[in-house]
Amino acid sequence: MSAGFARALRAEWTKFRTVRGWVLGTLAAALLVPLLGVIGASASSASCDKAGVEVACPEPPLGPDGRAVRDEFFFVHRTLDGDGSITVRLASMSGIITYPPPDHDRIVPGLVPWAKAGVIVKDGTEPGSSYAAVMVTGEHGVRMQHDYTGDVAGRPGGAPRWLRLVRAGPLLTGYESADGQEWAEVGTARLPGLPERVEIGLFAASPGDLTVKQSDLGGIIEQARFTETTARFEQVEVEGAASGEWRHTDVGATPGIAPGEIHHPGHAEKSGDGFTVTGSGDIAPAGTDSGMPVELTLTGVLFALVAVVVVAVLYVTAEYRRGLVRTTLAATPRRGRVLAAKAVVIGAVVFAAGLAACAVTVPVGKRLLRGDGNYVLPVPALTELRVIAGVAALLALAAVLALALGVLFRRSAAAVVTALALILLPHVLAVVSVLPVGLSLWLLRVTPAAGFAVQQSIPEYPQVLDLYVPQAGYYPLPPWAGLAVLGGYAALALGLAAVRLNRGDV
Amino acid sequence: MSRALRAEWTKLRTLRGTGWLLLLAVVLTVAVGAVLAATLTCPWGRCTRDSVRLAFGGLQVSQACVALLAVLAVGGEYGSGMIATTLTAIPRRGRMLAAKAAVVAGLSAVAAVVGVLGSALAARLILPGTGYPVPSPVDGPTVRAAAGSVLYLVLVALLAVGIAMAVRDSGVSIAVVLGLLYLFPLLASLVTDPGWHRFLWSLAPMNAGLAVQTTVNVASLPIGPWAGLGVLAAWAAAALLGGWLLLRARD
Amino acid sequence: MKATIEVTGLRKRFGRNVALDGMTFAVRPGRVTGFVGPNGAGKSTTMRVVLGLDVPDEGEALVGGRPYRSLEAPLTHVGALLDAGALQPSRTGRDHLLWLAHSQGLGKRRVDEVIGQVGLDAVARRRAGGYSLGMRQRLGIAAALLGDPPVLMLDEPFNGLDPDGIRWIRGLLRSLAAEGRAVLVSSHLMSELEDTAGQLVVVGRGRVLADLGVAELIETASRGRVTVRTTARAQAMEVLVGAGAVVAVTGADTVTASGLVAGRVVELLNGGGVPFSEVTAHRATLEEAYMELTRDALEFEAAG
Repeated sequence: MSAGFARALRAEWTKFRTVRGWVLGTLAAALLVPLLGVIGASASSASCDKAGVEVACPEPPLGPDGRAVRDEFFFVHRTLDGDGSITVRLASMSGIITYPPPDHDRIVPGLVPWAKAGVIVKDGTEPGSSYAAVMVTGEHGVRMQHDYTGDVAGRPGGAPRWLRLVRAGPLLTGYESADGQEWAEVGTARLPGLPERVEIGLFAASPGDLTVKQSDLGGIIEQARFTETTARFEQVEVEGAASGEWRHTDVGATPGIAPGEIHHPGHAEKSGDGFTVTGSGDIAPAGTDSGMPVELTLTGVLFALVAVVVVAVLYVTAEYRRGLVRTTLAATPRRGRVLAAKAVVIGAVVFAAGLAACAVTVPVGKRLLRGDGNYVLPVPALTELRVIAGVAALLALAAVLALALGVLFRRSAAAVVTALALILLPHVLAVVSVLPVGLSLWLLRVTPAAGFAVQQSIPEYPQVLDLYVPQAGYYPLPPWAGLAVLGGYAALALGLAAVRLNRGDV
Repeated sequence: MSRALRAEWTKLRTLRGTGWLLLLAVVLTVAVGAVLAATLTCPWGRCTRDSVRLAFGGLQVSQACVALLAVLAVGGEYGSGMIATTLTAIPRRGRMLAAKAAVVAGLSAVAAVVGVLGSALAARLILPGTGYPVPSPVDGPTVRAAAGSVLYLVLVALLAVGIAMAVRDSGVSIAVVLGLLYLFPLLASLVTDPGWHRFLWSLAPMNAGLAVQTTVNVASLPIGPWAGLGVLAAWAAAALLGGWLLLRARD
Repeated sequence: MKATIEVTGLRKRFGRNVALDGMTFAVRPGRVTGFVGPNGAGKSTTMRVVLGLDVPDEGEALVGGRPYRSLEAPLTHVGALLDAGALQPSRTGRDHLLWLAHSQGLGKRRVDEVIGQVGLDAVARRRAGGYSLGMRQRLGIAAALLGDPPVLMLDEPFNGLDPDGIRWIRGLLRSLAAEGRAVLVSSHLMSELEDTAGQLVVVGRGRVLADLGVAELIETASRGRVTVRTTARAQAMEVLVGAGAVVAVTGADTVTASGLVAGRVVELLNGGGVPFSEVTAHRATLEEAYMELTRDALEFEAAG
């Protein structure tokens, strides 16, 4: 950093901190985040009803990496000590889908795209435990999946199909074959936490089918409907130190209303040298329909954004309004240097304020939400850190963009409207309004509002059918890519502002 | 009063950008409405969405232009110190506020009428391809939605005039107006209690005001179409009153 | 660095208006140079060009031999007061000077020094929005003095000042010049610069009409006008007209002759035996001299 730039920076910082309105505006922006976070958290409560009694809602199990998962399937299994393998012929797969649209009045035969059946090695039968599986799916061919998030595609097509899963220490390898003679490797998975003794066997699962309806008042009405898969396995062969009989477990079954009753129980029957297994549910990471993502505590950021935009715009237009810009440029004739110093000051101030606000709001909000019986989806510490720092960066970049617009327009009202129309409006229209989902997703890809992707803590998984829409907290771009789009807009506006500032008279 | 009106009209006419903003408001109303109408689908052959409301959905964007126009009409004068001149020229402040509000409302009404008629025309051209009925000029709810949309835009303009009078800086006032319109509905979404949720929903000026555009499932709205517009009118009246009181109290 | 401002052949148009039309002059150290001309003559535009704020279509302006925009810490080279109203109203006067000081690598101490120098100690920690015009002018001058620059450039510093303030500025300007600084002070009223400026650059219609010392200017404007008080008016006129002067009756017992110096007039009157009680060589005021010089420029403006 040159001495000249350091002087410009110091002058701009002095300028910023000596106008009470701007400091208070930034402070107000920072306070809005925890304030609305607390209001929102206190106003949200959840409870579940069990036989007419209000109870705490059941929480989803946690996977090996600490994230919430869904782990529901019907399991026919034996215990395996040490290395070994299982080989089966999946002869057929069928299923039912309940009450599909348009009339929602019938139960029809069929498989949902991610209905799955195959062979699995799992660390016990507790929901959330480590596993690897090779399977045939409804519409996505053969897959090898492990530990809820891992997913490797094999060849397309469905049953009949031969499947084999081999365990060698922590290494699991999946194979498939059309005829039981020529085998192709599907993939391998490394499960470092897998103990010597595991459960090995057959499984069937079928995730609920989704019906989505867009509300005319904004928002989405989502409906999950029960589905079931029945898989016929033949020529089941287990190699290795497998002990005991085949046992049946309805993993992660939902208790029904009556004591001991199971909601939608699965079942299995022995047939010849194999089994017919019927199950529902899914083995997959949990989405935002299973609980609240942490970023829900940061709703106040949208309000803070408005305050930040106003401060950033006034920081520059106030100089144009009073002709003070001439004094500034006489003191620092390198105009690009003035603009850069202003951008650094507003960016740094807003980032610091945003970081403090979010760092307080997320943990406090989480605690309040949990206190009211809400389930907050756990995320790795690094992800939470990314959400906090990312949202602070989002505010800072928005401030820089607004500042640049202030230089371009030289008038506060026009600059504020443009900044809010670019950053806030697409997000509001996409999230709370009546836009079609496709259009919303495009808005959140190509406008500066793409930056909001940085707050998404629960990722989207292609192997899980969920409602991946902004209303449910899913953004079309990955977190940093979204922030980069906003950064690109800020850089572009800053470049145009530099050209405008350098060209001609002030 | 007519002198004050004429003075305000001249000032707004000569304000740079008035024409452009009105044009932009009309274009956005029609264009966004047309895009929304064009994306209408009938899933599984069921045309359940509110095609009229979507066809007039462009207002959700174009209201920002009208609000900006209103804020500039008032705040533009604080910026250049012209408010002192205005107040000297027309000493009665109430009269000045009324004249300004009337001129801004009149211009907004013109833009709204053109925009809404354009949207209706666009819907007549686009909707036949989607399976939805074309909006009919004799259908009661459709006419109510169209007339209500014009009133909605006028009320938004008046709300902005009042806020701009109360808040002296035009940059701050436009932020307050847009925050009120676009972010207030978010407050409702923060609350899970159904009663409070519906109450906050129907308190939000944009939600409540646009209820007048609803032609399908009107009974399921948290607030009736005309009552909703009344909520927005109350907001506008409160803002104008507040603006007038503050203007009177200040030098 | 040399304490000079050199302006050479500046031309600038704003649309169809010609603001600068070959403006050329130099400001030397050690004296106050008045920069006078009617409103719209191009004084402020010239100053903005010198400060690198406006870009001329042609010509160049140098400060100490260098373009302003090439200067590091420019306020330590040139101090300028352009528009005393250019303040953020919610910032205190002291904070206004503080950010300016920081932009030049200067500290708080220098700020407090200049505040004392312009006599703003009592109000420096108040919001500048509440300042009177006079306080703003003082604050603007403090800002100009901040970098202790060898060159000072003040645009209409007398505007809005009370007589005390005007006297104060005059004294300040003279003492700054006496320290060897180059001081350029613009004004649209010549009277404000009387007794202060040593050199005058008179401008009109975007160019220099005259660039000369104050004494010289007055000399030029007063040349050859003599007033004679006499009881024998007709006789006096006859003698003087006979000697080639242009004579006008300016009172019941006075005539004014142009084209003759006072000594020659006395000689002629004595030679012709014309009684007279008083012969006065006319000394034009600076204002009159200025009016004469800028008459054309004003006429042009009125016509245009």
